[in-house]
Amino acid sequence: MAAVKKTLSIDCVGKPTREINAFIRQAADDGVPVVELLNPQARHNLGVCVLKPIHIVIRGHVGYYAAGLSDHITVEIHGSAGWGVGDNLMHGEVVVHGNAATSAAPSIRGGTVVVKGDAGPRSGISLKSGLLVVGGNSGYMTGFMMQKGRIVVCGNTAKALGDSMYQGSIFIGGSIEELGSGCEIVVPEADELDDILKTLDHYQIKAPKAFRKIRSDKSLWNFNKHDFAAWKDVL
Amino acid sequence: MKPPLRPPTYSGVWHPNAIDEIQEKAELGRYQIRGQATKRHDLPSLDDLVFTPAGLSRMALEGYREKCDTRVTIGEGRVKRPLVLERPIMIAGMSFGALSINAKRALAIAATRCGISTCTGEGGMHPEERQYSDKLVVQYLPSRYGTTPYDLKKADMIEIGAGQGAKPGTGGVLLGLKMSDEVAAMRDLPPGVDQRSGCRHPDWMGVDDLYMKLEELREVTNYEVPISIKVGAARIANDVKLAAKADVDAIVFDGMEGGTAASPTIQLDHAGIPTVAAIAEAAEALYEMGKKEEIKLIVGGGIKNGADAAKCIALGADIVYMGTAPMIALNCHKPIYQEDYERLGTTPYECQHCHTGLCPVGITTQLPKLIARLDVEEAAQRVENFLNAMTMELQLFARSCGKNKVSDLDPNDMRALTRDVSLMTGVPMVGLNGRTPMWAKY
Repeated sequence: MAAVKKTLSIDCVGKPTREINAFIRQAADDGVPVVELLNPQARHNLGVCVLKPIHIVIRGHVGYYAAGLSDHITVEIHGSAGWGVGDNLMHGEVVVHGNAATSAAPSIRGGTVVVKGDAGPRSGISLKSGLLVVGGNSGYMTGFMMQKGRIVVCGNTAKALGDSMYQGSIFIGGSIEELGSGCEIVVPEADELDDILKTLDHYQIKAPKAFRKIRSDKSLWNFNKHDFAAWKDVL
Repeated sequence: MKPPLRPPTYSGVWHPNAIDEIQEKAELGRYQIRGQATKRHDLPSLDDLVFTPAGLSRMALEGYREKCDTRVTIGEGRVKRPLVLERPIMIAGMSFGALSINAKRALAIAATRCGISTCTGEGGMHPEERQYSDKLVVQYLPSRYGTTPYDLKKADMIEIGAGQGAKPGTGGVLLGLKMSDEVAAMRDLPPGVDQRSGCRHPDWMGVDDLYMKLEELREVTNYEVPISIKVGAARIANDVKLAAKADVDAIVFDGMEGGTAASPTIQLDHAGIPTVAAIAEAAEALYEMGKKEEIKLIVGGGIKNGADAAKCIALGADIVYMGTAPMIALNCHKPIYQEDYERLGTTPYECQHCHTGLCPVGITTQLPKLIARLDVEEAAQRVENFLNAMTMELQLFARSCGKNKVSDLDPNDMRALTRDVSLMTGVPMVGLNGRTPMWAKY
C-alpha cells in the first residue's frame, strides 16, 4: 500500500472552486490528513461539503460560506472570513484567525466555530447545537433565534443580543448594548465558567474578567395576550 | 304575535364577519390565525378564462386515442440528473409537522405511482419520506430545521424557500399543539412551543448573496440536481428576473390563493397577488431575460383541477404546484367525524382549522388517535385517482385545442370572460377577439 502523503497543497489561483473542493474531498477519501490551500484570494465556498475527516489549512482570506455544510473536518483560516463561515457545520472545528463577517456559524448543528477577532451581525443565528466563540466583539442580533448550543463573546455585543432565542446560552464578557426580546441575563454556573475558560485557553484567547449569561426567558415560546409588550416587536 | 320576518340589514362595512373579527381580537389580544388559504370571494381567478377549442380553423386530436404528451423536465441541459416528471404537476412543500406522517406517506406513494414529485416542506426530511417518494424535492428554508448535507445530497431537486403565496414576507408558523416530541426533535425545538420561523435566510440577503448560496448548494449536490427558488407572488416580475439572474433551474411561486398550515388571517386575505395575475407577469419576465425555455416556471395557488392547470400552462407555466387539492383528495373537509368538526366550532367545507392540530380527518394533526383515521393505502389511492383524473382533464383541453403536447398550450387557446383578467393576462376578451364590435360600424 502506497504511503499517504501527510500534507497536500493546492494553489487556488486560476482554479475553479469546484476543482479545489473536489481536490479536498478526494484527499479526504484517500486518507490524507492535511490539505493546505494557498492564495484563496477571498474565494467563496471553499471547503464546502467535505464529509470525511481531514484538516484544512487556508493561507489567506476566504469569502462566503467557507467550510459550509461539512462534517468531521477541522479548518484553520489564516485570514478573515466572509458571510456564513462554517454554515450548518455538523461536527468538527473551524478557526478563523482574523475577523468574520455577517452570520458566522449560521445554523450549525454541532462542532465548534472560533473567530479570534471580531464577528459581524447575526453571529450564531439559528444555532442548533455546537459552540461559537468570538474573541473580540460581535455585531447586532448575535444569537438571533438561537435554538440550542452555546455562544461565547469575549468582547462587547451590539443591539438585540439573543433576540427570540428558544434555548441555548450566550456568555458575554464585555458590554451589552441592548438585550433582545424574550431573553434574560443570569449569573453563570461555576462549571459553565470553568468549561469556557478551558476552551479559551485551548484557543489561546485572552479571557475577560467576568461573563454574564443570557438565556431565553420563555416569554415568546407561546402566544400570550398578556405579553403584548414583548410580542409587539417580534410578531 | 310574531313580528314579520324581514331580511337582515347588515352594514357593508360593519359586516358580521368584521364584528366577529374585532371581538375575537378583543378577547385574544392578538391577531387571528387560521390554516389553509384566503376565504376571499372577490379575487380574479382562472375561472375568468375559457378555452376556445378547435373547430374548422384548427383540428382537434382524438380524445381517447391520440397521444398527448405530459412529460416535463427540470434542469435539462443544465445539470447531470434533471428532474423528469411524467405529468406537469408537483406536490407542494408541506412539512411533517404541518401534516401527519400518514398524510406524508399517502402523498408520497400516490406521487410515486404518478411519476411526479413530493416536497419535504419545512422541518427536515422524515426518514420515511425518502423511502416512499421516488422523486423528492428538499426544501431549504430560512429556519434550516433539520437541514443536513446528507439529506440535501439525497434530493432530486433542492427548493430554496424565499416566500409563499399564502403569507409572502413572513415566516412559517406551527402552533404548539402540533409540536409533538418527534416534530420538535427534528426541528431542534422544545416540544409544545409555538414555532415562528424566520422570514429571511440567516446567511444571505440579496440576489448577489443568493448566487453564492446557489454555488454552495450545487457543491453539496455535486452540480447533479436542479435547484429552484420559491417566492410568494407579490413583486413577481422583479423577483423572477432576480432569480433568473442568480441562475436557478426553476422558479416556483404561488399566488395569494396558496395554502399554508397556519398564518395570520389578515395576511392570507390582504397580501400577495392572485395566481392568474402573476403568471403572465412571471412568464413575460422570463421572456425578457431570454430564459423562458431554460428556466422552468412552476405555479401554484388555488389549482383545483385540470382546467386550472391547463390555463396556467397556457399562460406560461411549465408545471403546476398543488398542496390543498391533494389534501382534499386525502379527505380534508370530508363530512365524516362531524362531531369533531363541531367541537372545533366549524363544519366540513369551511373548516380550515389546520393550525389547531385537531384535524378531524387525521391530515393536519400529530395526535395518534386522529392520525389513525387516515388509512395510508386508501388515501394514497384517492390521491392517485385525483391526479389521474386531473391529468386526463389537462390532456382533454390540449387535445381539444389540437395540441399533442400539454406544454404547447398557449394564450391564443383562450379567451377572457372579464376585462380585468383580459388586461392582466393579455388574453383577448370573449366576443371581441381584439376587433371593433360589429355594431360600431353602423
